[in-house]
Amino acid sequence: MRVSFVSGVRHAGPYLEILRHDPRVELVGVAEEPGVPEWMLRDSQHVARRAETAWLPSVDDALDPDRVDLAFICSEPTRHARLAITAMKRGVNVVVDKPVATTLDDADLVLDAARDARGFCSVINRTHSPALRRTRRYVDAGYLGLPRHLDVEFLASGRHFSTSVERPGLVIDPALSGGGELLNFLGYCVDAVRYLTGLEVESVYAMTGALFGAGHADRGVEDTAVVSLGLEHGVTCTVTVGRVAFAPGLGPTSSSIRLLGSHGHAVVDDDKPAVLRYGGHPALSAHPVGGDGSAVALRLFLDHVVGRAVEGRAPDYGLADARAGLAVIDAAYRSVASRAVCAPAKRGGGTADGAAEGSAAGAGSDAGAARIGVHS
Amino acid sequence: MTPLRVAVVGTGSFAREHVVALSQLSGVRVTHVAGSDLGRAQSVAALAPGAIGTTDIAGTVGLDGIDAVDVCNATPDHKRWVIAAGDAGKHVHVDKPAALTVADFDEMVTATEGRGRTLMVGQTVRFQPVIAELQQQVASGDIGDPKLLHVTWYTGHVWPNGWRGWQLDTALSGGHPVHNGTHSIDLAVWLMNSRPVEVFARQFATFAANMPMPDSFQLLVRFENGSLATLELCYALRQPGEFLRRIVLAGTEATLAHSTEADPGLASPGHPVPPASIEGALAAQLAHWVHSIRTKEPFLVTNRQARAALMTAVAAQQSLDTGQPVQIEQTVAL
Ligand SMILES: NC(=O)c1ccc[n+]([C@@H]2O[C@H](COP(=O)([O-])OP(=O)(O)OC[C@H]3O[C@@H](n4cnc5c(N)ncnc54)[C@H](O)[C@@H]3O)[C@@H](O)[C@H]2O)c1
Repeated sequence: MRVSFVSGVRHAGPYLEILRHDPRVELVGVAEEPGVPEWMLRDSQHVARRAETAWLPSVDDALDPDRVDLAFICSEPTRHARLAITAMKRGVNVVVDKPVATTLDDADLVLDAARDARGFCSVINRTHSPALRRTRRYVDAGYLGLPRHLDVEFLASGRHFSTSVERPGLVIDPALSGGGELLNFLGYCVDAVRYLTGLEVESVYAMTGALFGAGHADRGVEDTAVVSLGLEHGVTCTVTVGRVAFAPGLGPTSSSIRLLGSHGHAVVDDDKPAVLRYGGHPALSAHPVGGDGSAVALRLFLDHVVGRAVEGRAPDYGLADARAGLAVIDAAYRSVASRAVCAPAKRGGGTADGAAEGSAAGAGSDAGAARIGVHS
Repeated sequence: MTPLRVAVVGTGSFAREHVVALSQLSGVRVTHVAGSDLGRAQSVAALAPGAIGTTDIAGTVGLDGIDAVDVCNATPDHKRWVIAAGDAGKHVHVDKPAALTVADFDEMVTATEGRGRTLMVGQTVRFQPVIAELQQQVASGDIGDPKLLHVTWYTGHVWPNGWRGWQLDTALSGGHPVHNGTHSIDLAVWLMNSRPVEVFARQFATFAANMPMPDSFQLLVRFENGSLATLELCYALRQPGEFLRRIVLAGTEATLAHSTEADPGLASPGHPVPPASIEGALAAQLAHWVHSIRTKEPFLVTNRQARAALMTAVAAQQSLDTGQPVQIEQTVAL
């Protein structure tokens, strides 16, 4: 599997680190667009060097279907959609860093492009988290009865901003990020909710704030949000997301879900079970069993993507899933602006069930596989 | 020290617990238990040495021989007896929710504080050991300014008396955000030290689809100082007595977190006991009430906080009724 990167300014480091150790993967190199700011060029070159892969002369080289099977789009979010469409048009398989786009209109353009594309288009997500998959097995086994409510919390530590995010501007400068932490984090939460329940979000209300002084307030974007989701069949969901000073976990992020069912409840925590270590530096540290939850979820997803690509199939998470998440984010922002409950917009502005939207039409992909909740 | 002579109004299950807790406090004597049913009043009175059971509630709260009245009957009658006791010059303790409307609560405050006596609302949760610790951490300033609160509160509980239970009737209980939500809303007001200005609520019924007062709901709250809270309440875990409560409070300098999942304690089928982090709250609450009456020290629960919380709870019920967010016009400072 020949893999290239188009831009490397956001998240490319960890993705490359995983892929370069995958024996099925041959890294072709990293490219950047002409005309980007100098720092983007430098950052992209830096990740290529770190991964000991080639610096490609142009994006054309990174998307050449004769030399590349799969391209990762790791630019700042506001370039995602355009670069993903360019890549699909060239005929390579595509994985876009999340969010797939920073506006719903752009996401729909990506979906349109996928319709005629030869390859698949998938988006980075956390649904391969072992804790999430385990809980899904409980749901599928009927142990919880029917889901009634989910509570999702995803918090990141602002105090780790300089080490957990390449450059704060990628998150807080709307010209680069397209929004604040709602756009950054809510998609993960919606993914988890759809993955666990198979239900779509029908209504959204959100409250946001720039509360923690990591620079969001200056840029006019939120660092914190509380969100209420109404799902199909009267199922409810609360979401608490933010870049607080310190996330309530021992890593840079913490993420947990509580799922209430008619016949039982379950707790998902990406960082538990864990072994605690007392002493050493720092004086107290947690060592999640199986490894850091975020890192494991990423590694397992990339492993899945490569495996599927080798088989000529699309990954189990497709554009329809990413669009569903973005539609909720979009509704959340509209509700903040209007102080009213908002419905996620369906494709084309119609009222058709958005979930029925086709998956990424990759050659040999099984049609249902790209939709979370249908995947076996 | 002459004992503080307390009359208890109410003969239900919580009145019973009040009488037991009060009678174990030194310096307190429960003189009467007054309620609408004589047999029940007498059986509850029997829990306190020397206490008299009676149905003459009006006569009891006005007796010269008592100093204070503890009103812990069903919520719709709180107002009537708090005002009667205030009119008679007694110190009053009233169970949460203090009243079904803010206007009623204001009248109750006027009838007590307005006459130079006191009124304390029984916000029991504040007296749970873990909450006291959280508040101390906040008060120390070490976490900076509290900005984000997430309270998960799930328990296995069914209101007694089946479909006859007054709690199921939102006209009598105020609805779930008022009836039980005042616990976590009051907690939020206290910890965030700011007045809620917006609330959005959703609810669901786990046990019975047509339940007039669903067993579970969630609130999003925005405070005047910009901070935010997610408050979830579910009274429908499968096992009666089962309890999961998780609190995360993020401040500008540090984050506090506690979950009952981490409480060490008893595992013995058929013997549900409260987690160590919450035990002993009612006794601590009533001891505080008595102590503050004696010493004239301020109550931990101020009526301005209780008012802000009640206003929010009423707004939350309105949000449930309309499906829309409700902006709250707080008219009194904390
Ligand atoms: N602070 C806490 O933690 C806590 C806990 C439980 C109850 N409470 C409060 O204590 C009060 C009493 O609750 P409880 O659990 O003892 O209830 P309960 O149903 O056990 O007792 C209430 C009594 O009032 C009677 N009653 C019912 N409807 C009535 C009406 N419309 N008018 C007058 N009387 C009526 C009932 O027959 C019953 O005897 C309530 O305000 C409740 O919110 C507080």
